[in-house]
Amino acid sequence: MPKHIARLLLLVVVLATAALTAKHYFTDKSYYAYGHYRGDSVAEIASDVPRFRGNEYCKTCHAKQYDSWLESKHNQPVIGKHVKCEVCHGPVGQHPSTAQAPLSVDERIALGSKAPVAEGPTGGKLPLPKDRTKCIQCHEAMPGRPAAQRQVVLAAHAGTEQCTVCHDPHSPKINFASLAKAPQGNAAAGKVLAATCAACHGAAGASVNPAWPNLAGQHAGYLINALQAFKSGMRTNAMMSGMAAGLSDADIINVAAYFSQASCKTAGADRAIALLGKSKAASCALCHGANGVSPSPAWPSLAGQNPDYLSDTLKSFQDGTRNHPVMTSIAKTLSADDVAQLTAYYASTSCK
Amino acid sequence: MTQEDKKIEVKGSNLVRRNFFLRMLGIGTACAGTWVGSGNLVARAQSAETAAAAAPKIPDYDWNKHKWAFGVDATRCIGCLRCVEACKAENGVTQDAHHFRTWVERYVYLEGDERAHVDSQSDAQNIAASGSEKEFRFDNRYKDAKVEKAFFVPKLCNHCTHPACVQVCPTGATYQTKDGVVLIDHSYCIGCQYCVQACPYGVREFNHVMGVTDKCTWCYHRITKGLQPACVEVCPVEARVFGDRNDPQSPISAFLRNNRVSVLKPETGNAPNVFYVGIDKEVC
Amino acid sequence: MIGTMAQAAPYVGYVYPNETDIPWSVLIVIYPYITGLVAGAFIVSSLFHVFGMAQYKPVARFALLTAVSFMFFVPMPLLLHLGNPQRAFNAVLTPHWTSAMAAFSYVAGFYISLLLLEIWFAFRADIVALSKTTQGPLGTVYRLMTLGSDDVSPRALALDHKFATVLAMIGIPAAGGLHGYVGFLFGSVKAREWWSSDLMPIIFLLSAIVSGIGLLIVLYVVYSRIRKVPVDQACMKGLARTMWAFLLVVLVIEGLELLEMFYKRLEGIDMVQRLIEGPIRYGMMIQWGGSLIVLALLTVLIVFRVEGKALVRGLVISGVGMMIAVLAMRWNVVIGGQELSKTMKGLLVYYPEILSHEGLVAVAIVFTCPFVVLWLITRFLSPWEPEPS
Repeated sequence: MPKHIARLLLLVVVLATAALTAKHYFTDKSYYAYGHYRGDSVAEIASDVPRFRGNEYCKTCHAKQYDSWLESKHNQPVIGKHVKCEVCHGPVGQHPSTAQAPLSVDERIALGSKAPVAEGPTGGKLPLPKDRTKCIQCHEAMPGRPAAQRQVVLAAHAGTEQCTVCHDPHSPKINFASLAKAPQGNAAAGKVLAATCAACHGAAGASVNPAWPNLAGQHAGYLINALQAFKSGMRTNAMMSGMAAGLSDADIINVAAYFSQASCKTAGADRAIALLGKSKAASCALCHGANGVSPSPAWPSLAGQNPDYLSDTLKSFQDGTRNHPVMTSIAKTLSADDVAQLTAYYASTSCK
Repeated sequence: MTQEDKKIEVKGSNLVRRNFFLRMLGIGTACAGTWVGSGNLVARAQSAETAAAAAPKIPDYDWNKHKWAFGVDATRCIGCLRCVEACKAENGVTQDAHHFRTWVERYVYLEGDERAHVDSQSDAQNIAASGSEKEFRFDNRYKDAKVEKAFFVPKLCNHCTHPACVQVCPTGATYQTKDGVVLIDHSYCIGCQYCVQACPYGVREFNHVMGVTDKCTWCYHRITKGLQPACVEVCPVEARVFGDRNDPQSPISAFLRNNRVSVLKPETGNAPNVFYVGIDKEVC
Repeated sequence: MIGTMAQAAPYVGYVYPNETDIPWSVLIVIYPYITGLVAGAFIVSSLFHVFGMAQYKPVARFALLTAVSFMFFVPMPLLLHLGNPQRAFNAVLTPHWTSAMAAFSYVAGFYISLLLLEIWFAFRADIVALSKTTQGPLGTVYRLMTLGSDDVSPRALALDHKFATVLAMIGIPAAGGLHGYVGFLFGSVKAREWWSSDLMPIIFLLSAIVSGIGLLIVLYVVYSRIRKVPVDQACMKGLARTMWAFLLVVLVIEGLELLEMFYKRLEGIDMVQRLIEGPIRYGMMIQWGGSLIVLALLTVLIVFRVEGKALVRGLVISGVGMMIAVLAMRWNVVIGGQELSKTMKGLLVYYPEILSHEGLVAVAIVFTCPFVVLWLITRFLSPWEPEPS
């Protein structure tokens, strides 16, 4: 064999040996342990620290909120619904007061599920927006959402009002019984003051003119709110602004107590028109009650109210002379016929 | 079949010559393997011995005892996208509208339309609605339209029985574990993105900071600790179901028992392990 | 060099959210392109070294040097594209053989070794002669390359010739394998409608050969101009016929592929049509228009027995035309395949970056390197026959 061929072959053998040696030397020791991959990587990946920790973790410090959630509409495992803490609050692992010494991968592998999570002492808060964005992520009416999901058309349901005004996110179903009661006034003292009101609203709270509201049987809470609004100037009315200005806070409570306890009188309306109105009253019923008797002391009952007064009120919401976070936008969805029919319906429902 | 397997097979046989022949065959194969420049065959023979006995050092967890699977009930999904945000937070996924380990699609059929209108949370209008590429929501663009049918479909890695991505990985940086999860070894991946091309479901994405491919692991770091994957943990309506098929009482076993399920793109032969209820022909 | 993603690709219809980050950039367009040029150049040298076609003798050794110059830079676009290029050797350490890509380092390594060996045998007499006449460090390099043997006896040279022939014979399937493999890399991706085709390897291989011949024609004419020697007419005629034959087969197969696709009208064909009419419209025009024009030009050159300067001019135009048409074909495949969404409900549009490590400037640099290296190599080892003075 010529010298150059022999040397060439030698060179090839030397290079090949060097390559194989290098390959053996550089291949990770755990490679092929379980298959064609680096065996150690499985435990490394498994050692990552979870950030979402589940309800039980939150409960240890936030038992009160947890308990109210436990019985709430946001926790109905039977129908497959559980809005756990971290669904809205985000992962515990982002609790901002986190101050833990980072562990190495090997240390985490050794500790496994006992490895400390990203957490911290109390004091840190998970960021939760103050506006409505959280709630509407699930509850905004949207094509594609299953019918079983509770959904609202926001403008009609709440106008621009915040969800938390009525709902407690931990237990979203409104529990009216637990709402704050209106301050107890002295009805007898109120009756004395009510003499001034009688000229328009009637001595017993039954209005003398259908354009003015009946007050008898109305929630005291609402009457207090209304008078306070006139007094502070949040609401204005040629007559009422002046009247309310002359009342002290105690006067307001007393006069409200008097009218709320007075016996009411149903205004009445055309039955056919009222029935049409009943078919459209579903969204009103959320706040004003199915038959017009509001479940909340803070919201007005509509049952038996004068239809002219009700339609004037709705029109004032529509044209902006009166404003309310919820009512303004709802009123704007109503046509003139809607207004006529709805007011007829409420005028004909019994106020008792 | 490895040398050792062969040895076991002929154990007890007094055909010494055959045993000898097989051993020579084995050695020959091993030499050939070395010659090819891989040494794989030898190593594989060794690995087959050890793999059965040993499992990865994960405390309180034995991968031989589990067979994970995932269910999606599209009829329950409300499109709230809590899963998408939770996944990003849990796994440190790139915070923009182009990298997701899981996402949700919306299918809307308008009256008279043959084909569905499809969008995901990445859609420009939806990003505009959320106001950021870090938070996600579906805008309400169809609220005044005449919608005939509409539904949401969550998507994630299918952890296929025959994963095309694993097949094409040149280094073995992505692989299938014994308990049926497809993982990526981020310290071994060279970042060629061949697996991104090979996945028919588009679930693989590239982490440009680390220079490696990334994808859903079914939260392997959670399920090996007895937790649920983050997306399942935060789903408020049980549209996502996860569990162990070896356990007949697990949610996924019940899901598969009680539903007529389908998988995505079965024609690819990947044999996905994410099972769907309530999807229809337009779901891609 | 590793950092944030390029601008997200705009799209129409519905695409999976992750698809807007296009995985394979313009670098992966020139990877198969450069590989193809290697395969084409090598085939021409084999026509002489294996099949003994004497008319290719003037370019045979030059073709080898061209092939190796381009082969050196085949891995370059791939390395530039990797997210972790420093780990590239993982694919060599633990090649995952079910992956077409795992074979790359071995196929390419084998092919480079083969080319270097063949060059060594083909140039050994020259190397020995140069080692005796050259002084200084360059002389040392020549002397190292002789492996300490100056045996240029007729017996030794005859043996060299035998080795070179055997290597060239191995080289033909290797070149076919190298490029067929690139086609397989794309054709085997079942997730991509536009790639997944059994014909992909053969299309890649044949178009590679055509572009390689085109490159060789252009380089040969340019080098002849520089050396101020006449272009060999017989060689040019032979190259014209070879190119014509391969080009015809490529066009027939590519045409059949499109015909079948549209005749079968499988699900998603509408989107394929929109891809061709949309994002890769100009690419398709250049690929098909260029190929057909070159085919017509070559037909004219052959049928009318054009000779002399006109033949050279016509062939240079054909060569350049083919190189552009095949580059467009690579773009249409690599980029087009990624512009067609896996949802089959949408199309993306890829815009190459300019300055990044995956941009057009990087591509231009990568593609310039082989030409520079070829020039240096021809200075180091002249492939040309000594001029008859």
